[in-house]
Amino acid sequence: MADYDRRGGGSHNPKKRRFRDDDEHDRRGPRRRFDAPPHVRVRKQLIAIAENPMRPWHEEVQSIATLFTDNWEDELLRGNFVDLVLQLAVEQPLKTPFVAAVVLLANTTRPEVVDLLLAKIVALVEEKIGSGEWRDVKLYLKLLGCLQNCLDGEGVFPVLEELFARAVDLQTASSEDTIGTEIVKIILLTLPYVMAAAPGQWVQKAADLMEKTEIIASEPQTLQALIEPYQPEGEEPNPPQSQSLIGLLQSQLQNEANNGWALSCLPRPWDLPIEEVEQRSKLDDATKHALPTITIPEAVVAGPRPLFPEIYFSVYANQEVESVPPLNNVAASLIRDALVDTINVLHFNRNITARHLIDLDCYFSPRTFAARATPFDKLREIGPNKSTWKPEDVAVDAVFSQLFQLPTPEQKLVYYHSVLTESCKLAPAAIAPSLGRAIRYLYRNTPRLDLELSSRFMDWFAHHLSNFGFTWKWTEWVDDVFLPDAHPHKAFIAGSLDKEIRLSFAQRIKNTLPEPYKALISPEKEKDMPDFKFANDDTPFAAEGREIAGLLKRKAEDEEIDAIIQRIQSQAIDREIDALVASTDVFVTCVLRVGSKSLSHVLAAIERTKDRLADAGAASDAARAQIITATMAYWSAHPGVALSIIEKLLNYSILTPETVITWALVSRAGNTRGEALSIAHIYEMVFNTVIKVTGRVRQLVVKPSSPDDADETETRDREIKSMRNLFAAIEDALASWATGSKDEMIEASEGEGNSEGEKLVRQWGARWLRVFRRRAAIEEAFLVEAEKERARKAAEVKQNGDAPQAMDAEAEIQ
Amino acid sequence: MRGPRATVERLDQPSAYFNNRNKRRRFDNKDQRDGDDDTNMQNDQPEEDPLKDAATIYVGNLSFYTTEEQVYELFSKCGEIKRLVMGLDRFTKTPCGFCFVEYYTHQDALDCMKYIGGTKLDERVIRTDLDPGFTEGRQYGRGKSGGQVRDEYREDYDEGRGGLGRAIQPSRRDREANNYDDDHGRLR
Repeated sequence: MADYDRRGGGSHNPKKRRFRDDDEHDRRGPRRRFDAPPHVRVRKQLIAIAENPMRPWHEEVQSIATLFTDNWEDELLRGNFVDLVLQLAVEQPLKTPFVAAVVLLANTTRPEVVDLLLAKIVALVEEKIGSGEWRDVKLYLKLLGCLQNCLDGEGVFPVLEELFARAVDLQTASSEDTIGTEIVKIILLTLPYVMAAAPGQWVQKAADLMEKTEIIASEPQTLQALIEPYQPEGEEPNPPQSQSLIGLLQSQLQNEANNGWALSCLPRPWDLPIEEVEQRSKLDDATKHALPTITIPEAVVAGPRPLFPEIYFSVYANQEVESVPPLNNVAASLIRDALVDTINVLHFNRNITARHLIDLDCYFSPRTFAARATPFDKLREIGPNKSTWKPEDVAVDAVFSQLFQLPTPEQKLVYYHSVLTESCKLAPAAIAPSLGRAIRYLYRNTPRLDLELSSRFMDWFAHHLSNFGFTWKWTEWVDDVFLPDAHPHKAFIAGSLDKEIRLSFAQRIKNTLPEPYKALISPEKEKDMPDFKFANDDTPFAAEGREIAGLLKRKAEDEEIDAIIQRIQSQAIDREIDALVASTDVFVTCVLRVGSKSLSHVLAAIERTKDRLADAGAASDAARAQIITATMAYWSAHPGVALSIIEKLLNYSILTPETVITWALVSRAGNTRGEALSIAHIYEMVFNTVIKVTGRVRQLVVKPSSPDDADETETRDREIKSMRNLFAAIEDALASWATGSKDEMIEASEGEGNSEGEKLVRQWGARWLRVFRRRAAIEEAFLVEAEKERARKAAEVKQNGDAPQAMDAEAEIQ
Repeated sequence: MRGPRATVERLDQPSAYFNNRNKRRRFDNKDQRDGDDDTNMQNDQPEEDPLKDAATIYVGNLSFYTTEEQVYELFSKCGEIKRLVMGLDRFTKTPCGFCFVEYYTHQDALDCMKYIGGTKLDERVIRTDLDPGFTEGRQYGRGKSGGQVRDEYREDYDEGRGGLGRAIQPSRRDREANNYDDDHGRLR
């Protein structure tokens, strides 16, 4: 495809490119004067449709449609147009109604275009259903829904009914089915677009369909309890649950049906002004087209992403003035759905994502929102029949709904960070105050927020601040600095400061803080290198420690080190302490000391000593645990460094995942009477370890393999077993903290057991437990699906005996 | 490589720098990025895209004071880091404002381009580019004075990167040092 519309002109610029050229110099020279060919202009205009708020929709869609139909003879244009319409539908979903309007208008003069489009879209829908790419199915159906008025007969309804029939089959077959609910969600989200496109005509049809979906939509979903964003409050037997997205949607649509399908937020760019009588009647009389039958395969698949129930999450709930659509309004779901699709689809250009979010009021009907950047305080002054919905709040809410999606959002968490960063850069005055209110809401709710989400919040918060000069109004939380360390608010502050320091350095962060906070940053954090405890003669084995460090530094022979280790061990025996633990502590501390200059130094030091470290670790459980103790102690001021080192030690198998779990949840937690559970980096360490293990198991179970490769099967089964053991160990350790039955807690409480501190520890235990129980359940679900998939493939291979082809298919899925 | 051209530009494409490099090198052998290894350039095959499976990211515009640990903290958000090589001044062996981050997978490197390139680390907007992979020797600056070429004649005062360009520094140092822009860098 020729890039006529690209800047730069293609010729080689003799001037050397230098840093900042793009920003500071416009090297393009005078604009070339030529009219781009029609296919280029149509492409450009269609892609940018509705972006300009100053241009009336009806004018814009008419002019594109005319440009297209006037140049119908241009083959390049004709071919590209349909493809572009379909591509826009799945790449920029906010623009679908506008693109549809262009098609509707083109239909008045060139009805052939709709036939071309329908043929292609039907094939695409079938393909996407086949591969289980349900979002694409939804987005194509949305486009079809907007075209309802130019479709023959009942238009999209037969497809929706067919889909529903399949959903019913799935739901009756298994109560744990998630595909059926996904299909119902798609139906419910398509319906409003149909009703807006063809007002008044399909009320009965819609009512019939919704009567049917009711049963599935209102049914509580099996896994919903797992993905609740808030920790259920301990004693209540049936804690109130957030609403499932699909249940909410069903009731919102019911409201809308009772309201005569007003759907006031949806844009209707095909509604031409009254004065355009001629065009209006042309639209009404335009050719209707039969929608070719869409065949839905007997067996539908879940697709590349495991499906989970979804929950409607908002950080702007229960405010005195509504700054986002209320839960009973269908606009909440429709706007959220379009924004979430936009966010997840456009992961490859966060700048454009942010642009769409900032411009979101361009894509919904006028007066859906209050004016951009209206301060929250001013919303109160808005008149009675006007919208108080802040577009920035709606946008930020949508990003947070993804950042806080359980079990995992579609894209990496850092993508959502980057979207918020870019939005904030594009429109700081509008977005920053909305983010501030979101942060306050989350901070307030941090004690009851799911621990995994709380940790995501902390990670985002520190990363976000690092992009904006680390400025935050810390003064408003200043009272919380004096709370006990195990209080969730205090723990959040401590964890965030640590994360900020990791991205910057202690002195810098200290300078951003009000006085009371500064005490939270110990002087050790400002040292370039931690103290070497063996430099002090009072430390046991000080001489030996210094000697080993010296030997390591000059890369001495193993035998020399051996001799000293022996000496330490025999001294330890004399002092009646564990000899292996003592020598491991000295050796590991020395390795860390030698590598203290940077991570590469320590990695090189570990690489050189990995055999001795592995031997030390293999000698006893206590010695292995001591490797962690020594690392955490040496880097206590910079836990981030310690965690990176532990990760590498896991890679070398010097440590095992069990060592990490036991160290954190039994020893460390035990030594601190459970307070260690409130420390962010302890959670991070355990969480990362679990992710490492589950990631490896996932890799193994989806790996395409010949069914009778005994070796692979054995490895897989072994890894699965050890993963289950790991989860069991976590469950074991945490359950006693959550119930307060841990020995250390009973001892400390002297029979009482209800002090503030113990209550906090029990809460932490319960929050941890929830996170890892969910992880375990999700991995089990993954194993079940993977097993099914393997069985299916094995059957396939057997059936057609055509191994190479089957291998190809597997490679694609990878 | 991913079907038709997307309706919006992708951020995980290699920069023009890389695309033009092979072409340019024919007549201007000196104009390579710091740390480029001459030996692996001898037998380029234009048909084979060297970035097809690239898992390495070149990171530029770092402050000289940014540490490995900081790079680790940020770049781990896209996936586990396999190896990190800091760019060093050829003579002093101190950081000179770039590094190579190697991931385990190509996808992690692409995600890094999409989500981290153009954001801030240590309060500077950093630049990322897909890279065919680190080879020994590329960790050193290629400027005359040992650092990166771009720091030789730089006319703006950049505190995080040693002030003015080194080639013009002695003559102007005294004059400029008094009125630099304070919120650019920092003192340590």
